[in-house]
Amino acid sequence: MDNTQTRQITVLQTAAILVSTIIGVGVLSLPLFAARAAESAAPIITLIGSVIAFFGLALVTWLGIRFPDHTIIEYSEQIIGKWLGRLGSVFIIAFFAVLTSLTAREFGEVVVTAVLKTTPVEVTVIVMLMLAAISARKSLTTFAYIHNFYFPLLLVPCLMIAILSLNNAEIINLQPIIWSPANHVFVGVLTIAALFQGSFILTLIIPSMKQPKKAMKASLYGILIAGGLYIVIVAASVSVFGSEEIKKLLWPTLELAKATNLPANILERLDAAFLAVWVTAVFTTLLSSYFLTAYAMKQLFRLREHRVFSFILFPFIFFMAMVPQNVTQLYGIIEMVGRYGLIITIAYPALLLLLAMIRKKRGQM
Amino acid sequence: MLQTAIKGGDRMKLIKGYRRTKQQKQPKKLPANHTLAEFEGKKLSGSLQELEGIIDSTVGKSADLAIRKLHVFGRFPAVMYSFSHMVQQAVVNEDILKPFMHAPMHLQGRSIELAQLPDILLYETLYHGEVQLQGGIDLLIRAILGGDTVVAVEGMKEAFIIGTRSVEKRSIEQPATEQVIRGPREGFIESLGTNLALIRYRLQSTELRIDSREMGSRSKSKIAICYMDGITDPEVLKELDRRLSEVEIDGILDSGYLEQFIEDNKWSPFPQVQYTERPDKVAANLLEGRVAILVDGSPLALVIPTVFGQFYQTVEDYTERFLLMSAIRLARLVALIFSLVFPSLYVAIISFNPELIPTEFAVAVAGGRAGVPFPAVIEVLIMEVSMEVLREATIRLPQQVGGALSIVGVLVIGQAAVAAGFASPITVVIIALTTIGSFATPAYNAALALRLLRFPLIIMAGIFGLYGIMVGLIVIANHVLSLKSFGVPYLSPLVPGDKEGMKDLLIRAPIKWMKNRPAFLHPQDNIKLHVEDQAPSPSTGETSPEKR
Repeated sequence: MDNTQTRQITVLQTAAILVSTIIGVGVLSLPLFAARAAESAAPIITLIGSVIAFFGLALVTWLGIRFPDHTIIEYSEQIIGKWLGRLGSVFIIAFFAVLTSLTAREFGEVVVTAVLKTTPVEVTVIVMLMLAAISARKSLTTFAYIHNFYFPLLLVPCLMIAILSLNNAEIINLQPIIWSPANHVFVGVLTIAALFQGSFILTLIIPSMKQPKKAMKASLYGILIAGGLYIVIVAASVSVFGSEEIKKLLWPTLELAKATNLPANILERLDAAFLAVWVTAVFTTLLSSYFLTAYAMKQLFRLREHRVFSFILFPFIFFMAMVPQNVTQLYGIIEMVGRYGLIITIAYPALLLLLAMIRKKRGQM
Repeated sequence: MLQTAIKGGDRMKLIKGYRRTKQQKQPKKLPANHTLAEFEGKKLSGSLQELEGIIDSTVGKSADLAIRKLHVFGRFPAVMYSFSHMVQQAVVNEDILKPFMHAPMHLQGRSIELAQLPDILLYETLYHGEVQLQGGIDLLIRAILGGDTVVAVEGMKEAFIIGTRSVEKRSIEQPATEQVIRGPREGFIESLGTNLALIRYRLQSTELRIDSREMGSRSKSKIAICYMDGITDPEVLKELDRRLSEVEIDGILDSGYLEQFIEDNKWSPFPQVQYTERPDKVAANLLEGRVAILVDGSPLALVIPTVFGQFYQTVEDYTERFLLMSAIRLARLVALIFSLVFPSLYVAIISFNPELIPTEFAVAVAGGRAGVPFPAVIEVLIMEVSMEVLREATIRLPQQVGGALSIVGVLVIGQAAVAAGFASPITVVIIALTTIGSFATPAYNAALALRLLRFPLIIMAGIFGLYGIMVGLIVIANHVLSLKSFGVPYLSPLVPGDKEGMKDLLIRAPIKWMKNRPAFLHPQDNIKLHVEDQAPSPSTGETSPEKR
């Protein structure tokens, strides 16, 4: 009766997985990254970042369509040979383990700074990691259901904040809409593109999709929704605060939530409520990277169950999360890891795809 | 002296028995089964004396076994067995004893051989609908145990089993736990036969199949599995069959026993099998492609597969017009969510984020809490626990006292607790709303699950505030998302999305829109409603004002 082995993830669910994976802890600091790189041109470079991210995701999708029964861990061995492929997989696993720990830590910092001021950051990180570890033990189908379920819960609060904040928006803050040569646009674009890295999870999903051929549609939808939301949030915060002020804020989106009021004064302030709802967004992101790490390890070691790894990984991820000394150092690491991570999430699949085309390797469907 | 000797002997036996089992490590065979199993496959020899011996050694020791000796047509010695309180005496007298003993007119004067006797009795004299000839001794004993009457004739290799079972049953009443304003008023009773009749007269279809099986090594309870052939997913039936065949228990006394054997996840607080005492609900579920399980002696039928949505839906949602019932269903859903998160939300906001609520209200709340010595989480927990105690006490008490208790409870929990500075008035309001909310959920077991989960949420809220509530809710949601009932995801049709099912989830769409059966049940025949292409135009159907 347990039909978890069959292909039953739909295109819509795949898109939901992508969106809820991408939208995560990065939403809070995204306007800062964008404004720091291009000032009032922040929405434009967010758009460019999304396009680059879509390019990376498209590579993974193409590979997935080429090998519809396998994940990147499996087909990389077919394409570039057993040992090189395994080396690549180890890098992927290590990168996503680091990404998981950084996400958990970033989230812990936000909670400790904004809501639970007297709680040690270790506690919030442990709670969040525990949540992800327990949920990462479930099957891939349940994983898809979880994302499917939370997907609308992510969009509504973010969009609501953005729309309600239009009250205080000044269109002048968004001009000029193109950047000046003095900005470090390139680095900023890469940082923003790195926020989409969770979408790499698609490589696990394709082998379980009902119609792997439609994966490209799902990734397009995923990036469109997530990228669109990112642009809306960046545009809203820049238009409310102006780029100069944003540079002084660590989490502009949270400030945006503080600045907005619900009509009729139902809730006096929105930031705590926003943070609470935002927990689900972080959870889905964390779950995806945790799941990806555990599942990739399972495939690397050719085991049948990924469950064992969820608790084995826990202490390592927790200790990695505790390595950064403070928020400033944390964000330095996040930006750096994110940018270098693009090598793994974009360059590595590009290389694989190129070699697969040259060597005419193809999985059977 | 004698007594002590016996006692000593007993003890010796006990010790010996204990030693034996310890030494041999052989599980003792169940004695009740033992006697019946001994006769399995054994046939009647034709000797009444032997049968008497067997009956004596098995069921004969009970005082309520009636043994009646008679001579068939005045010539052939026979014996009749039945449990005297399980049969209707008038039926036994008129329909069994009379035809057996008194040869009818057309037979008088004919000489009857023993070899002809079974046929003559069966085809010419016995006027009773349920008669069968059986030779297996275990079958005969089982029939006697089931309330049938067995008549054995000297020299015959087969005995008559006559269906005379008549157990006292209560009349059909309004279902106590699932009342409706509009809809049928009949509820199941304990007797399986009556319940099946209640279903069958609602679904007079050749497709309605009722599979019967016996369960419980001692109770031999009859289980009926009802489904619609051609609609129900055969996989579900197969899986149910597999799960039922694994059950080895001495007695199934209620469908609730069975539920705990066939559910998917016994650690989950959420019920994965729905129960109902409404035959119309069972019929509707059968038509959707579900399977119903009835147990003899239980007025509650089980319905599988179950999804969470069923627990806040009622029969009335379908019998009353859609617009009104959609609104009421939404209200029920709100009540359900209230009963889960309201107290924890209160705790989180009061203790961590009072800035969320409007200032005037925050001041009022703080004023109310001024004299209360405990933190909000303790206060709410105390009130919740006392509310649960009060609720449980009201259910268990006889009705005459129950009223008095609820008055005392209301006074203590409501008025006096506030006056004594034990709780703030706003807490009382919150607890009251929560309790009422949990009563608005139609399914008692689902309401119970949410009430139970409320407590960990309150504690989480007390430790981590809103963040804790969200973490708690995520854990609950993930658990629910991973649940399955007979292969059907528990949150269908919401997750995984099913367009047809969504029409009957949060709201109840007009019946005309719901053309297909819910796809998550994998029905063999998908189409529920045949709609003609042309909708009847209003002018032909109704008389327009001008025409009138």
